Amino acid sequence: MSSIITLTLPGEIMFVRLASQTASLLADLVMGENRQESAKHKICHAFELAVSEAVTNSVTHSEEHDAPQLLTVSFEFEPRQLTVSVRDANPPFSIDQPTPDIESYPLHGFGLKIIREIMDKFTYLRDGDSNIISMSKTF
Amino acid sequence: MTITETSKGDIAILSLNGSLDVLSAPELRNNRSVIDPEKTVVLDLEKLDFINSTGLGAIVGALSQKLQPAFGIVLSCMNDGVRSVFEITNAQKLFHIFDDTAAAVVFATTRQGAHA
Repeated sequence: MSSIITLTLPGEIMFVRLASQTASLLADLVMGENRQESAKHKICHAFELAVSEAVTNSVTHSEEHDAPQLLTVSFEFEPRQLTVSVRDANPPFSIDQPTPDIESYPLHGFGLKIIREIMDKFTYLRDGDSNIISMSKTF
Repeated sequence: MTITETSKGDIAILSLNGSLDVLSAPELRNNRSVIDPEKTVVLDLEKLDFINSTGLGAIVGALSQKLQPAFGIVLSCMNDGVRSVFEITNAQKLFHIFDDTAAAVVFATTRQGAHA
């Protein structure tokens, strides 16, 4: 049986950490005590980082496109898995954009690569007028 | 995030404390020593708890402004989480990275002298 917690946030950069740190806290909660501290720390960091990337993308694109300024972040947790979904009303985008070459000193463009690297599963869905990014990790 | 700046000779040492992300990245981007193309900067990351790709972009962008990009920004004392972001993006290949700040300062001083 799973449980879901949902945050509805203004699409402003000051709320990015609220979402990412909530993900980290929930991962810690779901894992409980029966796990090595270093392993827990690594998984909590992965969720904080992945959600920070996803929500930063959502908020910055919202500002660029003058889209509605709300997004929802859902945390669905099961005994050994946490799935975080970020829904916004921005224009659709491609998740197949090439990763920039680091030697050209890029300032942006690594968010999706990082999410893919540290999460077990990553999906993008266009649902009506919404983008939904889902990220999950089993532990 | 807070930035504490000290100096040793001509080297600026910036100690970052907290999270470097979309909220705090402008503070680093706008730092006077970071902007100065001739200034060699050691970034002490010992107290940097968290970085994401936006924060990384601020450090990479700082590097690109330096007259000597290979030595203009030197990094020290990354924790495992911070290091993972550099490794995933391959950004570690752009920087000289040290486990302690004193060694980073010695390296930066030596390199700066070699290119003066």
